[in-house]
Amino acid sequence: MLKKTLLALPVALLLADTAGAAPAPEEVLQKLIDDSNSPYLTQSQQNLIIMPDNPALFVADEGEELFKQARGPNNVSLEGCDFGKGPGVLEGAYVEMPRYFADTGRVMDLEARLVHCMTTLQGFASDDKPVKSRHGSGSDMMKLQTYIAMQSNGMPWNPSQKHPMEKALRDAGEVMFYRRAGPMDFSCATCHTQTGKRIRASVLPNVHESHEWTKAISWPAERVGQHNVRSSQHRLRGCLYQMRYPNIKPGSDTAMALFLFWTDAARGQPAILPDLKR
Amino acid sequence: MFKKTTNTPVIAAATALLLVTAGCTATGTGKSGSANAEAEALAEQLVFAADGFYQDQPTQEGTTGRVRLTQDETQKICSAVARNGKRIDAQTAEKVRSLALASIKYPEGGIKLGDWKKGRELAWSGFGFRTAHNPDKHETREPGATCYNCHQLATDRTGGSIGPSLTGFGKQRGTGEEVLKYAYDMIYNPHASFPCTNMPRFGANGLLTEQQIADVMAYLLDPESLVNK
Ligand code: HEC
Ligand code: HEC
Repeated sequence: MLKKTLLALPVALLLADTAGAAPAPEEVLQKLIDDSNSPYLTQSQQNLIIMPDNPALFVADEGEELFKQARGPNNVSLEGCDFGKGPGVLEGAYVEMPRYFADTGRVMDLEARLVHCMTTLQGFASDDKPVKSRHGSGSDMMKLQTYIAMQSNGMPWNPSQKHPMEKALRDAGEVMFYRRAGPMDFSCATCHTQTGKRIRASVLPNVHESHEWTKAISWPAERVGQHNVRSSQHRLRGCLYQMRYPNIKPGSDTAMALFLFWTDAARGQPAILPDLKR
Repeated sequence: MFKKTTNTPVIAAATALLLVTAGCTATGTGKSGSANAEAEALAEQLVFAADGFYQDQPTQEGTTGRVRLTQDETQKICSAVARNGKRIDAQTAEKVRSLALASIKYPEGGIKLGDWKKGRELAWSGFGFRTAHNPDKHETREPGATCYNCHQLATDRTGGSIGPSLTGFGKQRGTGEEVLKYAYDMIYNPHASFPCTNMPRFGANGLLTEQQIADVMAYLLDPESLVNK
């Protein structure tokens, strides 16, 4: 439904006129650009122009259908899944993840939580395609993630730090961010602690500048060059690949530590969901 | 307080750590800055946890992911320096510099320039040593030197800006003994000149062969090289 409206009209203007309505992702980004002077945020005028027609919006629509459908061996929808704010409550859930879930005793991000609910609630096996296939706009996982994340568009990142495990993992994530290893001595900090630096033509986001970092961590995002919606996990894998590291297992505490640190670094800045990247 | 989990040793370890430290960790959120010893210990556990990184990932050099993740002394020191966020102190710098100097091996016949055209392709190539989901096959293609990722070199190709521009490097510095040694050392182990630099140790870490170093040096210094046109 949303996609049709977006395609029919310059909806950004419409939304801006409607008091109280959430701004469109491109408006959230535009505001960040207006308030700053960031070479990372402004690196692609072209991308900004095509954001109202972001292909990720179609993926989100399909995600909404999947979310509400009774599925899996147990034939139930995901409306019974608790993403941290109560069963079925999606608004603002994503900007508070990763977070600690008492029912599993673990810190989980959106992907891990979806896996949990699809296997326990809906009864899928962990190697059934809807759970196992994690990448690409055609996967259930990306459709669902994009839809759910979008319900936090424009809201400030606010990962929970109430539980001691959340705090401990965030702090360990910070250590890991600066930890050099591998044949090229890279750490995340090598490429993400200065503003305006480039790897070849790509302008790098700076973890110390929360207005840049909010865009950096706004996933799912359409990767224009890849013609696919991508997740945080996919982005992390890409950087680990360039670092000559092995990959991190999705949903592991190791991954959660990095994600908690990186989300905390954007605290207070509005999420751009779904985003569109080079 | 914590639920028992069966197949998650890290959580168990983290929990143990937390029970010890819960009373003394700060409760504030956001940029708390300097990480404490508990955070460092937990980070090490997480890096080597069986369910974190793929520890058994095969590497091109015949080792494993675990070995790739294991830090040497320079990496340990420089990680702490980076996290600290302040300029490296003189004593630490001297330590890193001496480790670097001890690592550098020189070619038997002395430092010479190779083929700048080969060096140019090496400098451009980002191939090599990547593993994860799509390991680089060194049998089918020679690993590159990745210089353009961080440096502008000849201006017909776009380079990065993590390192300074090297356009006209040879034209500016010439090809005297000292310049040859400086460039060789920079490529072999740049910590000899810039302790805790972000530049990789291409010689000391076995990323480039002696011949490849000679070719890349030619790209930087040969008067015929496009870098110096
Ligand atoms: C050798 C350089 C390098 C290292 C080291 C590195 N990254 Fe990146 N990172 C990049 C590049 C280049 C991009 C942008 C990719 C693009 O534009 O295609 C990027 C993008 C990102 C983004 C999303 C921003 C965007 O526009 O795509 C995040 C978040 C990120 N990196 C986090 C990390 C983390 C966490 C680590 C460490 C685990 C890390 N990076 C290590 C080079 C690096
Ligand atoms: C990940 C980034 C990175 C890569 C890859 C890299 N460098 Fe560097 N390089 C740097 C940085 C940063 C400096 C500046 C030293 C410092 O201040 O730490 C530098 C400095 C240099 C210098 C000294 C410049 C001067 O003015 O004295 C030379 C020469 C050099 N690099 C050559 C190379 C060559 C050749 C390659 C490829 C084999 C290469 N670099 C790859 C980051 C990099």
